[in-house]
Amino acid sequence: MTLVGTSARRADGEDKVRGAARYGMDYLEHGTLVAKVLRSTVPAARITELDCSTAASMPGVRAVATAADAPGLSGLVIVKDQSLFATDVIRYVGEPLAAVAADTAEQAEAALAAIDVSLEPLEPVLDLEQSLAEGSRLIHPDWESYETAMPGTRGGNLAWESRVERGDVDAAFDRAHLVVEDEFRTQRQHQSPIEPHVAVARYEQGRYVVHTPTQFPFNVRGRIAELLGIRISDVRVIVPPIGGGFGGKLDVMVEPFACILTRKTGRPVRILNSRSEELATCGPRENAIVRLRTAVAADGTLLAQDGEVIADNGANSSGETVLVANVAPLVLGGTYRIPNARYASKVVYTNTPPTAAFRGVNGPYCVYAQEQHLDRIARELGMDRRTLRMKNLIRAGESMVNGQQLDDAFLTQAMDKVDEIRPWQDAHTERKPFRGVAVVPLTWITNPLPAGASIKLEEDGTATVTCAGAEIGTGAVTTGVLQIVAEQLGLRLEDVRVSPTDTDTGGYDGGAQGSRTTYGMGNAALDAATKVRDQVLEVAATMLEAGSDDLEIVDGTVRVAGVPDQQVAVASVVATAMFDSGPIGASGKFATPPIPFDSGCMAGAAVTSFAAPLYQAHMAEVEVDPETGRVTVLRYVVAQDVGRAINPQMIEGQIQGGVLQGIGYALFENLRLGDNGEVIDDDLESYRLPTAADAPPIDAAILENPCSYGPLGAKGAAEPPIIPVAAVIGCAVSDAIGKTMNELPLTPFSVLQAITEDQDRAVRSDQRHL
Amino acid sequence: MSHSFTLNGQPVDVAVAGMTSLLSVLRDQFGLLGAKLGCGEGRCGACTVLVDGEPVDSCIYPVANAEGAAVRTVEGLESHGEPLTRIQDALLEHGGVQCGACIPGVVMTLTALLETESSIDDSTIRSSLSGNICRCTGYQKIIDAAQAAANANGGPQ
Repeated sequence: MTLVGTSARRADGEDKVRGAARYGMDYLEHGTLVAKVLRSTVPAARITELDCSTAASMPGVRAVATAADAPGLSGLVIVKDQSLFATDVIRYVGEPLAAVAADTAEQAEAALAAIDVSLEPLEPVLDLEQSLAEGSRLIHPDWESYETAMPGTRGGNLAWESRVERGDVDAAFDRAHLVVEDEFRTQRQHQSPIEPHVAVARYEQGRYVVHTPTQFPFNVRGRIAELLGIRISDVRVIVPPIGGGFGGKLDVMVEPFACILTRKTGRPVRILNSRSEELATCGPRENAIVRLRTAVAADGTLLAQDGEVIADNGANSSGETVLVANVAPLVLGGTYRIPNARYASKVVYTNTPPTAAFRGVNGPYCVYAQEQHLDRIARELGMDRRTLRMKNLIRAGESMVNGQQLDDAFLTQAMDKVDEIRPWQDAHTERKPFRGVAVVPLTWITNPLPAGASIKLEEDGTATVTCAGAEIGTGAVTTGVLQIVAEQLGLRLEDVRVSPTDTDTGGYDGGAQGSRTTYGMGNAALDAATKVRDQVLEVAATMLEAGSDDLEIVDGTVRVAGVPDQQVAVASVVATAMFDSGPIGASGKFATPPIPFDSGCMAGAAVTSFAAPLYQAHMAEVEVDPETGRVTVLRYVVAQDVGRAINPQMIEGQIQGGVLQGIGYALFENLRLGDNGEVIDDDLESYRLPTAADAPPIDAAILENPCSYGPLGAKGAAEPPIIPVAAVIGCAVSDAIGKTMNELPLTPFSVLQAITEDQDRAVRSDQRHL
Repeated sequence: MSHSFTLNGQPVDVAVAGMTSLLSVLRDQFGLLGAKLGCGEGRCGACTVLVDGEPVDSCIYPVANAEGAAVRTVEGLESHGEPLTRIQDALLEHGGVQCGACIPGVVMTLTALLETESSIDDSTIRSSLSGNICRCTGYQKIIDAAQAAANANGGPQ
């Protein structure tokens, strides 16, 4: 039986197409109160008075919560600089000041309007470079007092700095044939899943029970506990079907308000973000500045690179931006051989809404910068752009910038596969004016966090997997993990199910992030399934009077291999085991094995290596309309190594979806900030998401280059397709118009400006010749 | 103010203000939770239902406008003895469903397309989906599913 490798239908699919799936946004309890949050309308101020007495006595109002109810300081793992409510000082437009629970939404809104707030304005610090400048006002004057999870460079408005240094960078620059320097600026991008953040909390037997569609239930549990100043195990997180996340639902967002208010009222409390609150306050991908300076030999060999990445943390470290700061150096130095490198990744406070994880974290803008930069190097050397890349690509056995040896590097194979689908030479020969082509290789990480799962066999011979893996929509839990388990147990896919995600019943799991569910949870479930299989075979061996090594399990029946009539149903084995050795069941677990790297070359690095590294190459052909500046993606090719394809159709779906999110980032998605650091694009009219009209034809090739410690060889698959997209489209646009594009997104306005600047220059130059 | 219409074939009568959104009537009065409140701005299409066969964004559609009309939701789709309708089945067969929050709306939009258009190609599918945002799939597999369902429509029953 081979279930693994087939495009099995998703187990939760029928409910979803029938409209019967009950998402977080559909979950309700009887007698639920409605919670609303009062948010700051100014970016920086001292709170002199916050008077909730009128609001508290208004009709239908059951409770008001303020900073006094949430004493804890928290943050996403590394720097604990976030309070749930602004305490004394406001640091961004949208920062919570108070929350109200009332019988109806209208009553809650009326109560918010009745809260008296008196403020003394402070000078806002909005710009990244201004924030780091000498004498800039400190956004967190008490930064030294904050708890941190590890040592790192911090100070003033520099929230965190990660550094990587290898070799002798300065000496390499001294002997370079060519030195090229570039600066790139990129925008905020919002995750914008269809389902907004929503939570229903109830206080029961001295604990908080929270229903929330989160990607990472154990993180939300820990963060609620930290913000409220309670024990982690006093919170239980139950995850209904999730209506999309893309990183935006990794972290705690609305849950703590519901928890505080349910405790105060004794009633269930529901809180649901409006679309405007989603866009204005739920951490997007950070805006950033990337500066690269590269030393190159005459033959195109990269000798050294000096890079600085300045990323916007926003007002606090509640998002993942600090935690993943060191991913920037790793991705800059993970695809090409750069023997001498010096990278600084700086995460900077500003009086703007905090930034957070979005699929690919800081990868898309680092890769965008690196690839535009390489194309410029190629142009200056007069070298073919693909040849430059192939020359410097990391081969199997060579090392990344952190000293991690990539024994299974598969970059040349990915590039070759793309070339097979759409030969580079043909794309060049067939080029027309204002058409461009580009190809980009990439090494990326599978999130290494641990996982636990358990499996029990039911009396009818079916199996139930219990875990706290979150089914974000990829199908990794409800289908991929089940395919692995069903195959290992010799059961039909429909005879294996997974119980609802619940931190009380499931083992620890590192969340639906960084393509880790099939890899991490797949490994834990496979471990449990292997133990369960051993138990079945041991009991069946006695029943069939055969050696357990001679047995196989096929379609729910244990049989002696080669002797088809000597068999017993798994259900009978379960029944026999029940009163013999006890119910059949086992727990499984997984932790990523240690990955050797050079720890001496890094400082302030929470992410030190690329676990289960995966390799890919993307190619795009674009057309630029010289009249309007509009970019059309004519053709897109992806070759991606997934280790082992558990469900090829679902992987293809991740590639197509990731590429389109990347196209949005490359061409138009831009969560702009106004003069007060407020989000301007707070509705879906002004923050445009890609539609069916924006989706180009995509050829996707899935490559299988097994990971020795992945389940059946599998590594991550879902996250990376977004990462090289802006780079490959940007480079193709640059190729089309002959100009390095230093900023994203590549809107018609910016592309047209780039074209006309050149034309203006050409006109001026013509005039000089006259 | 009372409003009468048929809901999935059954006559209904609701006493709410005329400007109440059809979506909140469906969800709060009738417990039909298939249509989703995605954006509440008529932009994402997760709330799409059919009014007299036409897809509408029910989150901004006043219930008064449904007076006397036939309102159909994902819960009311008839599959003629099959477990799923053709488009529902095709969406699963072609991998067009990920998180699925947009899918009830997508199903209704494509149901209307299949019922009204005789000739369906890539471009008619894409333009019919212009009001349905799917953040997960990149649309291709939804388009493949729609094409397959359209082909099956013309084929043997």
